[in-house]
Amino acid sequence: MTETDIAAHTVGRRSAGSPAAARGDRGFFGRQRYFLFFMAVPAVIYVIIVGVWPLAQGAWYSFFDYNLQKPKRTHFVGLDNYVNAFADSTTRQAIVNTFEFTIVGVAVQLVLGLLIALMLWRDDRFNRTILAFLLIPATITPLVVGLIFKGLLGPDYGFIGYYLAEWGLGPKGGLLADGGTALWVLIVVDCWEWTPLMALILLAGLKSLPTDVLEAARADGATVLQRFFWVILPLMLPSVFLALILRTMDAFRVFDTPFVTTGGGPGDATQTMMLIAVKQGLQFFNVGYASALGNIAILFIAIMAAILIFAVRRADARINGK
Amino acid sequence: MSSLALKHNIARRTALLVITILFLLPVAWLISTAWKSSDDIFSIPPGLLFNPSLTQFNSVFAYFDVWSLLRSSVIISAGTVVLSLLLGIPAGYALARSTSKAAIGFAYFFLAIRMVPAVAALIPFYLMMRDLGLLGTWWSVVIINTMLNTAFVTWMMFSYFRAMPRDLEEAAMTDGCTQLGSFFKVAIPSARSGIIASVLFCVMFSWNDFLYPMFLTRLDTKPLSVALLTAYGTKDITWGTLGALAHFSTIPIVLMALFLNRYFVQGATAGVH
Repeated sequence: MTETDIAAHTVGRRSAGSPAAARGDRGFFGRQRYFLFFMAVPAVIYVIIVGVWPLAQGAWYSFFDYNLQKPKRTHFVGLDNYVNAFADSTTRQAIVNTFEFTIVGVAVQLVLGLLIALMLWRDDRFNRTILAFLLIPATITPLVVGLIFKGLLGPDYGFIGYYLAEWGLGPKGGLLADGGTALWVLIVVDCWEWTPLMALILLAGLKSLPTDVLEAARADGATVLQRFFWVILPLMLPSVFLALILRTMDAFRVFDTPFVTTGGGPGDATQTMMLIAVKQGLQFFNVGYASALGNIAILFIAIMAAILIFAVRRADARINGK
Repeated sequence: MSSLALKHNIARRTALLVITILFLLPVAWLISTAWKSSDDIFSIPPGLLFNPSLTQFNSVFAYFDVWSLLRSSVIISAGTVVLSLLLGIPAGYALARSTSKAAIGFAYFFLAIRMVPAVAALIPFYLMMRDLGLLGTWWSVVIINTMLNTAFVTWMMFSYFRAMPRDLEEAAMTDGCTQLGSFFKVAIPSARSGIIASVLFCVMFSWNDFLYPMFLTRLDTKPLSVALLTAYGTKDITWGTLGALAHFSTIPIVLMALFLNRYFVQGATAGVH
């Protein structure tokens, strides 16, 4: 194997078996680097100006006591905003809630999503139709999702809430108005919204499994459960972790549903990091504090992503590496 | 054996049907609310049966300038789609075809931008728009949406083009096509399904988002999503009216996703495999 062959293999399976690809590295595509450079540059510059620059400003503001209503009093406070964030009981509660929401929600979605994906594995017209309809929750405006469940669970006229109240199940003011249940309702809503998408991603993973290995396991007389835990699951670990990465990051940034259904209440029961950051930044114009919260969220997300990416790499290496 | 397999199949399909119905019930409830008269909505106990009525839709048109809201949503989505594709497709292509190590790094840079929480950039961006005098215009929303979606489109097209063999493009260039020519005549047509998936996801994102337009638009430039939010909690607006207004904001997207389901599936799993 030449060096370029190996490079082509490690960059992606795309060009396996195509000798032209290996030649291309030194041929047309190698020589016309400038062309590719100018194709990529506008997007990179745009994202830097409109995305990276505001983010960097946010990072900078987080070290200042900066309130838009009193811009003249702006002064450097070092890490005070960060210290205050962890000292404030509401914000601490929000951090705990956000983690609980993310971990419980994504775990439930993974299990349910995997079950649905296994049921949808066979590629026939029935399954394709079911999948199309199952995905509807993921396409609905998140704001409307919040409104639907707020309406359904209302204790006076809501279709679910009324009967719960009538039969004495659940708290009096409705599930969303009780500190003990509100966060769980939000987790259920998130599962309703995103389990189908999780199933879709896992289904793609299932469909890319090597059929010969599956056939061999079947021929060996392994039971369904044995095949699932010893053959299917280990082989699809990379796509499980990738699905986890995507969903974890989205769940951690949850804003829309709590914003319309509970607004963070009752008390601080459903306060999330994004809710507090938006409230502080755009209602109280407390730019420094809000930026610090945003950065703490980015940090948490980066840590979780790093752990999951590490897990993907290891799973990938165990399966593909000899 | 085969009768066992048949039973198995029937059980599986029944389970799937039940799951799907469970997932769709909340949506059915929303739709039914909008077609009920106000008496039916507030009937005690809440029932499933009702006489269809247009009351709620009448009050939507009485309380909201629906056409102006729709216009804003369409303009914001269309602007975002056009700009994001113009920036994202060439970038995705370049990163996929480049052999330099930095290309993969840039691809991950775009992916990372997608993962950043919206608020972290929103406040500085808000100040930036204020200084430029763009606050309250459609442009401000289009500009920030384009940033987030360009990152997404670039990543998606990167994984599409990466999975495509280069042979055809090379052949076209051997036949005297320029590199730009082979991009337009060979690469873009073969990546059609990736482009459709990109459009679908950009529209979904910009049509459904309300955090940015909530702070960046004015009364006459606000889209449907923001109107829904402000309507909610207003005294005169009932659940039925909200449900009817929600029709306008959800049905176009749901229909689009159903008709383009194949591309939805490809888009949602792009970059995963």
